[in-house]
Amino acid sequence: MFIYMLKRLSQSIVTLFIVVTTVFLLMRLLPVEGYLGDRYDKLSVEQREAMLQKMGLLDPWYVQVGTFYGKLAKGDLGTSAIYRKDVPVLEVIAPRVPYSVRFGLVAMAFSLVAGLAMGVHMARYKGRFWDRAWTGYIVLINAVPSAVYLLFIQLYGTDLFKIPLLFDKYKFSSWVLPTISMALGGIAGYAMWMRRFMVDELNKDYIKLARAKGMPSSAIMVKHVMRNAYVPMAQYLPAAILATVSGSIYIESLYSIPGMGGLLVDVIQRQDNPMVQALVLIFSSVGILGLFLGDVLMAVFDPRIKFVKSEGAR
Amino acid sequence: MKEETILSVRDLVVKFELRGRSLTAIRGASLDLHEGETLAIVGESGSGKSVFTKTFIGMLDQNGRVQSGSIDFEGVDLARYSTEEEWLRIRGKKISMVFQDPMTALNPLRRVGMQIQEVIEMHQGMSGKQAEHAVVDMLDRVGIPDPAMRARQYPHEFSGGMRQRVVIAIAMACKPRILICDEPTTALDVTIQAQILQLIKSLQNDFGFTTVYITHDLGVVANVADRVAVMYAGQIVESGSAEEVFYDPRHPYTWALLSSLPQLGVKGKPLFSISGTPPNLFNEVKGDAFAPRNPRALKIDFELQPPMFQVSPTHSAATWLLDPRAPALEPPAAIQSMRAKYAGGGK
Repeated sequence: MFIYMLKRLSQSIVTLFIVVTTVFLLMRLLPVEGYLGDRYDKLSVEQREAMLQKMGLLDPWYVQVGTFYGKLAKGDLGTSAIYRKDVPVLEVIAPRVPYSVRFGLVAMAFSLVAGLAMGVHMARYKGRFWDRAWTGYIVLINAVPSAVYLLFIQLYGTDLFKIPLLFDKYKFSSWVLPTISMALGGIAGYAMWMRRFMVDELNKDYIKLARAKGMPSSAIMVKHVMRNAYVPMAQYLPAAILATVSGSIYIESLYSIPGMGGLLVDVIQRQDNPMVQALVLIFSSVGILGLFLGDVLMAVFDPRIKFVKSEGAR
Repeated sequence: MKEETILSVRDLVVKFELRGRSLTAIRGASLDLHEGETLAIVGESGSGKSVFTKTFIGMLDQNGRVQSGSIDFEGVDLARYSTEEEWLRIRGKKISMVFQDPMTALNPLRRVGMQIQEVIEMHQGMSGKQAEHAVVDMLDRVGIPDPAMRARQYPHEFSGGMRQRVVIAIAMACKPRILICDEPTTALDVTIQAQILQLIKSLQNDFGFTTVYITHDLGVVANVADRVAVMYAGQIVESGSAEEVFYDPRHPYTWALLSSLPQLGVKGKPLFSISGTPPNLFNEVKGDAFAPRNPRALKIDFELQPPMFQVSPTHSAATWLLDPRAPALEPPAAIQSMRAKYAGGGK
């Protein structure tokens, strides 16, 4: 187990290196004019050269990569070049993370509880009224563009409950609607997968034996079906938790929440290289770590998974 | 060997609703099960042998139901049971079942011991240490070495034969009165098959339960059965002691079934096979269900369903050939030679 984890971890680092380097190089393919922004026309050729030189953009690409990793090794992610000029990157990012994570975690807890309950309920009454009703909800959430119902919730929700339209961190009530909005999709997703995994289990032979040995259906549901359906669900959990760091683009902009959502898109458009690199590094570390933890969690739940290649028939 | 009847099925009719149509899977089957005996129900796929025994523990699929008939067991009619609470008094406690494929019959994520313990706790009211001891004891009884350690393992750490032993341990955990084995050895190696049959036999000696085998493997039947019931198209067409059915079969279907055994074939000649297919049970079957496939069918076979004729106190068959008015028809050569061998060797 330990050796496997070490192996996986080193693989993860290689993956991370490839992702970060690729993005770094892609950013260098963008036209240099973009770095100068609105002032481009007002600058003389010499001024432009000097500015690009200062940003280190005129060095050969391998020198630039080398400099980037050299600084990174010392823990220096650089300063923002355009987005908030000369402010250290981490200082730009740090205050935004708590908003996204807080919203994300609450929304996730909410969607897990509601989604799993819904999925269990659907599997229990498979093919009957509640199964169909909740399926309707899932289809609706997935088929209707989220902008439509999210806007609807914001406009009518705030009006109905007399809540401020935009987010105000000092007002608890303004936390409610964004959280619910974020959870809606999650609920549908978790419900759908939970139902599916439970129905998979229900059709297995060991359920037949469990019935034949005289277990009541309720005990079979709890001890066998639900327990086994959690295993494939658990795999995606760490990734989902960590992904809350990146925030939600649409909902955060809808309620003016100063979170991480949209930040990456923003800085890419404005060609703020240090910001892009820092964000890519953070997001991909988080994603890779999530997958890794998912595998570990799965192994904890499923005794059949062994981390060493074993000789044998099965 | 005259035992008491432990379970008595009369004129059982089971229907399934399939896509708006109704299929009659069991068409008035009757059967008596005697205390302590081993009965084998044989028949081809789709003849209804599994469905028939599933009605004893209320495990029909959701679209199936017992339409009429009775299943008398311990003074109650199981055919009238409808709620889960009623069935929980029977399932696993009085009547147990062992299924075909041991590879998938156990929950892969639960310790083997726990899966046995569940039954013991549910039906015998034991708990904690006492139940754990009972589990280890049970695993020991079914011939699993080092049972205390094995109880803490997961199913994937067991071989196929060992898993079937665990499944049997689960079925036996509450000392049921009847054990139904639905093709218990089909999924196993030949060498393991014999071991499992031996195990069931020895458990039967120890605990004194009644066994019902469902199988199409006549080799298994010859090995273990005291009595044989032959099923065709949802009816029991012949039943009797193993000797009677094997050496003096009376129903044309039993003739055909036995003639198709490779052991009875003549070297150099093609192996006998039953032509045609079983009747479509969506439609009502007129007369003897086997008549269309039976080259020796009488006219009346197409018109009227034959009743059960008693051949001997223990042997009966549903065929018009046994009617006093029927012409004397000779069974196929293979059956005749069997009969002669039996008569010669027996007397």
